[in-house]
Amino acid sequence: MRAIPLGRPSAIAIAVISVIGVLSFLWPFVAPADSFLVVNSSQTPLLFALIIPLLLVTVISQISDGGLDAKSIALLGALAAVIAVLRPLGAGLGGIEPIWVILILAGRALGPGFGFLLGSISLLASAMFTGGVGPWLPFQMLAAAWVGLGAGLLPKASGKRELIILSAYAAVACVAFGFIMNLWFWPFSLNLPEQIAFTPGAGAGENLLAWIRFSLTTSLGFDLPRAALTVILIALIGSPILQLLRRASRKAAFDEPTVFIETQHIS
Amino acid sequence: MISFEHVTFRYTEQGPSVLRDLNLEIPAGELALLLGATGSGKTTFLRAINGLVPHFTGGHFTGSVSINGRSTQVNQPRELADLVGFVAQDPASGFVTDLVEDELAYSMECLGIDPPVMRRRVEEILDLLSLTELRNRPLHTLSGGQQQRVAIGSVLTAQPKVLVLDEPTSALDPGAAEEVLAALHRLVHDLGITVVLAEHRLERVMQYCDSILLLENGSIRSGSPSELMQTSSIAPPVIHLGRLAGWDPLPISIRDARRAAPPLRALLANHSPRIQAVPTHSPRIVEIKNVHCSYGKKTVLRGVDLELDAGEITALMGRNGAGKSTLLRTLVGLKDQSKGTIHVNGVDPHTLAAKDLLRHVGFVPQEPQDLFESLSVADECKSSDADAGCPPGTTRALLALMAPDVQDGTHPRDLSEGQQMLLALCLIVAARPPLLLLDEPTRGLDYPTKKKLGEVLRGLANAGHSVLMATHDVELVAELATRVVIMGDGEIVANGPTQSVITDSPMFAPQVSKVLAPDRWITVEQIAHALNQELA
Repeated sequence: MRAIPLGRPSAIAIAVISVIGVLSFLWPFVAPADSFLVVNSSQTPLLFALIIPLLLVTVISQISDGGLDAKSIALLGALAAVIAVLRPLGAGLGGIEPIWVILILAGRALGPGFGFLLGSISLLASAMFTGGVGPWLPFQMLAAAWVGLGAGLLPKASGKRELIILSAYAAVACVAFGFIMNLWFWPFSLNLPEQIAFTPGAGAGENLLAWIRFSLTTSLGFDLPRAALTVILIALIGSPILQLLRRASRKAAFDEPTVFIETQHIS
Repeated sequence: MISFEHVTFRYTEQGPSVLRDLNLEIPAGELALLLGATGSGKTTFLRAINGLVPHFTGGHFTGSVSINGRSTQVNQPRELADLVGFVAQDPASGFVTDLVEDELAYSMECLGIDPPVMRRRVEEILDLLSLTELRNRPLHTLSGGQQQRVAIGSVLTAQPKVLVLDEPTSALDPGAAEEVLAALHRLVHDLGITVVLAEHRLERVMQYCDSILLLENGSIRSGSPSELMQTSSIAPPVIHLGRLAGWDPLPISIRDARRAAPPLRALLANHSPRIQAVPTHSPRIVEIKNVHCSYGKKTVLRGVDLELDAGEITALMGRNGAGKSTLLRTLVGLKDQSKGTIHVNGVDPHTLAAKDLLRHVGFVPQEPQDLFESLSVADECKSSDADAGCPPGTTRALLALMAPDVQDGTHPRDLSEGQQMLLALCLIVAARPPLLLLDEPTRGLDYPTKKKLGEVLRGLANAGHSVLMATHDVELVAELATRVVIMGDGEIVANGPTQSVITDSPMFAPQVSKVLAPDRWITVEQIAHALNQELA
């Protein structure tokens, strides 16, 4: 079931923003020590924080051009609102964030295009509630969009197998989200012990290890509870929520094209 | 104004054709009434008028629909918004804003109309639909009839030439329905708007319409009311009466029927109506003495006395706010009385835990969906068995008896309205409560479904349940109830056998009784029975 069809142009737009997004996260490992990004490292997050929203707007307008009808917008709006309301529940509770289960299940039931849009829009909407607007927001939007997109691209399965696949994906995605999100500020964090600090020009391998050590020692305490909660919720409510979303999708008949058949009438 | 040419429509490529090669023309200024059983494609037909079918729903569409020369094939629904106003079944679900005035202006804002023009049109519509006193009210505080008029007003501000309404009065009580129909009547007469409306409650709208569109198996027959009603299987009681008496031309309104009635009266003079047998010496189920009840400072029930016996079907009537729902709520223990005693099956419902309560009294709410909690009919029945403590399969067996065509795997909310009502009834009846309460059970049901529900309820009464239903549906009461209780301002103002109570009151009289008053006939069936005796 695809609530939002992804045509070739939309897919290309998502690919382009994802490549630039990957660069905006991973530049610490590839940029030479004398590059603009490293030399002006205090401005770097701002630079990407400006580029990513522009690209997101482009992608969203591209996708909507390919047929974002009133029903998809309604569903997108309703689910983004649910996530926005759930998000403050997780604030400051050590990674107990109930929003991921909704995003992953919606991406699964309604397709990758829907998951991508829901991830970015819901994080934007919920930032307004939690006061979480800042240079990290574009990074969060993009990372959450990937989580939704990925859920929509999982292989076909049903019943228990589907829940197992979703749980595995949720565990990986929740931890990966935390690790990836460390990257936007990690290179500029000062006063870190040497083993976990970013060293300009030290080479990809060494910095990669430093990043992983940094993530294991700092954010893992948030990432694991997030993953555990999401997996538990998928096991508990995954099946009924998927059924609900699929019923909504079936009723909206997203897959049913509008066809006008021309006929010749002999009068 | 509206023309359909060779219109065929299927929701899916392989699916059945919902509309089949429709050809018809609705001239400007006409009020056309669309008839058809539940699921016959009425909503699909209405949505095809403004292009929601197929642009919004998807599907395979052949032929062409054009409104005032504009085809729905090349125009999206939004591009027809200035031409066709569409009012969906549940007005509240379509509201965008919170206030009456804002809602009236909303469609004009979308069309980019100048503020001074918007201002003027809002005033006009407020006057036209008698909404002036409600202009600053929040929408959720309005009654059903008021909401429906606001919904109509909000599409009228765009000044459409065509107004399409999907069952505008099915969910309303007679007074509110009257308000809405009077407003529509005025629109047709004063503004020359073309109106197409679908409706189940024919007894209300038949007299207002110029033509009838009868939708059966995807095809449409259209014609004048008296012509089509000769053979239509869907017809209000006055038509059945006219056919039975062989009146020609067939009277459509009560007034016409009354003028044709004298020969029938003469024929019936020596007969008296056959009255439904009321059980005697059956156990007393409900005993209410001097019950008072209030919400805050507002007293809703003031000294109600009522006794109900097993085997009775009692209709609870009265205008909105008369205390009908409150009385039902006190009987099921949802609301505490401030004074007086209530005994249901010998116990006070307030003292019982929910688990035990459902073996004494069952309550089917106005929205049967409120009882559904599962994702399929089968699961719903299973959890009902568990709740009622009856052997597995009991509820499912009941459902198979009442509604044989319901499938196990269906989501309860995907059932038709009639099936939802029957499912809710099964969930409640599974625990075998001696007292069965229903709140507006026939809201939104068509004639065949109502008949089916009536048979089911009569069966339950014969099996020893006492049925108490709050309803505005006088025809249902005439056919089904053994007793009528009329409430007014928190008190019981009439309580007696159906025959005498409803023929005494012009407000609650069924069509047959209005035609033959002062003789006490209330159903066509009674007259048919008497005429048979006459011939025999």
